[in-house]
Amino acid sequence: MKIFICDGTVKCFYTAVFDAYREKECVITSDDATQLSLDSEIIKVVANNEKADRVEKGIKKCDSEAPYDIEFALRSGDALKEQICFGYIKKLLERKSPVKKAYNLPEVIEFNDILHKVSFEVHRLKGFLRFMESADGVLYAPYSPDNDITDLLTAHFAERLKSERFVIHDLKRKIAGMYNGHEWITGYAGEAEIYLSEYERAFETLWKKYYKAVNIESRPHEKQMKGYMPVRYWKHLPEKK
Amino acid sequence: MIDEERLEILTESAKYDVSCSSSGSRRHNQAGGLGNGSVGGICQSFTPDGRCISLLKILMSNECVYDCEYCPNRKSADVRRARITPDEICSLTINFYKRNYIEGLFLSSAVFETPNKTMELLCETVLKLRKVYNFNGYIHLKGIPHADEALIMKAAKLVDRMSYNIELPSEKSLKLLAPQKTKQSLLLPMKSLKDAIDYEKFNKLRRNTLPAGQTTQMIVGASPESDGQILKLTEALYRNMNMKRVYYSSYIPVVQSSKLPSVGAGLLREHRLYQADWLIRFYGFDVNEICEENENLSQEYDPKCAWALRNMHLFPVEINTAPLETLLRVPGIGAKSAYKIVEARKFAKLDFDNLAKMRIVLKRAKHFITCKGKFYGADSFAQVKTSLLLDGRSEVSEQLSMFSNEATALSALTGEI
Repeated sequence: MKIFICDGTVKCFYTAVFDAYREKECVITSDDATQLSLDSEIIKVVANNEKADRVEKGIKKCDSEAPYDIEFALRSGDALKEQICFGYIKKLLERKSPVKKAYNLPEVIEFNDILHKVSFEVHRLKGFLRFMESADGVLYAPYSPDNDITDLLTAHFAERLKSERFVIHDLKRKIAGMYNGHEWITGYAGEAEIYLSEYERAFETLWKKYYKAVNIESRPHEKQMKGYMPVRYWKHLPEKK
Repeated sequence: MIDEERLEILTESAKYDVSCSSSGSRRHNQAGGLGNGSVGGICQSFTPDGRCISLLKILMSNECVYDCEYCPNRKSADVRRARITPDEICSLTINFYKRNYIEGLFLSSAVFETPNKTMELLCETVLKLRKVYNFNGYIHLKGIPHADEALIMKAAKLVDRMSYNIELPSEKSLKLLAPQKTKQSLLLPMKSLKDAIDYEKFNKLRRNTLPAGQTTQMIVGASPESDGQILKLTEALYRNMNMKRVYYSSYIPVVQSSKLPSVGAGLLREHRLYQADWLIRFYGFDVNEICEENENLSQEYDPKCAWALRNMHLFPVEINTAPLETLLRVPGIGAKSAYKIVEARKFAKLDFDNLAKMRIVLKRAKHFITCKGKFYGADSFAQVKTSLLLDGRSEVSEQLSMFSNEATALSALTGEI
């Protein structure tokens, strides 16, 4: 069986789709830790503009929103994301019309699932991200999301905190979104050392106090809290530390 | 900066206001300002009681001249009192907002000195927050009964949402338990605000007044009204006052009084009322179909199940042909599932296996539907009832986790549709 290994970019993925399309059984992945079997043949895919363009155009003809959806789904942290997108693209090209709502097809359900996981995490983290103020006034928010969404969050907060300067740091992927009060960029960021402003601890304490005060103790419902706010996000929330 | 003790006093008292929704406003960030509205609403955190924190809920003061029976801050109560200045509120809001602790401010107050004096200071605070501190985030302001209309209208142009709490579901109970608040002092400002919003809407003016509309809240179980009466009132508020939400808060005995019941109303009643409220707003039900005027909602069955059991002659319906309105009335099928079915069946005829893969919960629905003519429900009416009853029990014992999946749960909490 052929295994197509991509570099994680959309272009490379589309190139792999081009090469793999006629194969009967194959796997597309960007995961280095993929399990190999005895008969597997590894193909390192090199991004090719022409091939990628042709695939993207073909998809766009079937559903004008599909390239956007696929790029979004490729942000997923799911190890099978390329394979799921590939399955979806096959269905799309087979039907030659939008299939996003064909919930009778397992490929479509799988695709919608990872799409939902990404967009839901963006929505959640718009709430669960926490900034701390550094001594020179820059706001710093470390986090470890399941999916690659730092640029989306950076855009959201750049609109919201327009005259602030801030850094959103994905510790897992070692990338950061940085905003200087005018424009934002994303880039590599290893470890960060932060000197907190003198008020930081005081506001954090007030926030914790508030968190405690608004809880109605006679109505405990931990299960619901954890459902809405999964424990894996807690390590960056001052009120849950 | 505000000290911890005052923060505690003033937020402790504000927590019984249920509304924490931050949705419905598209307010933009103005040059150099801080914050914007997020139309879908955002939840920053969740407390161990399962509720969301989206807004900094705080009272300007808990020193009250009113003596409402049920209120822990009533005049005659012996509690710690505190007050906070407009600048302290502004600075706290800005600093919490910057750190993304909150999505906005929910400002309320006990009535100190006079209603006008209180409203003036609330107005001054939101004006300062908007104009001096340049804050464009979400603000929910509580209206003070008996305050001047001019003051209320001024505030309404600055904030995103306002609320006057109905407090109790009938005038009689209001007279008994909150004698200083009259029905008129609550309904008149509500009406004026609605008219102001409508005026902008119909004349196609820029929408300045309350972009996120109005909400209200009532206490359930502190007075003898039936669920039927409460729901009638709810329907009228949605229709006549254009309320975005009506909140129910099940009565908790925090105050000892001969006029109040000594036991709480329990969460189940509140839960059933919210279910009925949802049926009225999103599922095309009329209040008369759900509950008779002087009756209470069934404890055993959720209101949609109860309705279906009374109307078994309408079922089963065929999943592949039934119109959306009919699908919405099938117990166990929510709005999202109904829409999914309508979309999916354009591609292929659906069977039970398809429904299961689409994650449509069939435990209840199977008694009310057929797929390609096949029926997998119980044989007799008695069996259907028993099966639904058992299902309902597990729902209640699951400590009322109100919504089946996180996505709908979040949207429900933030009030987003």
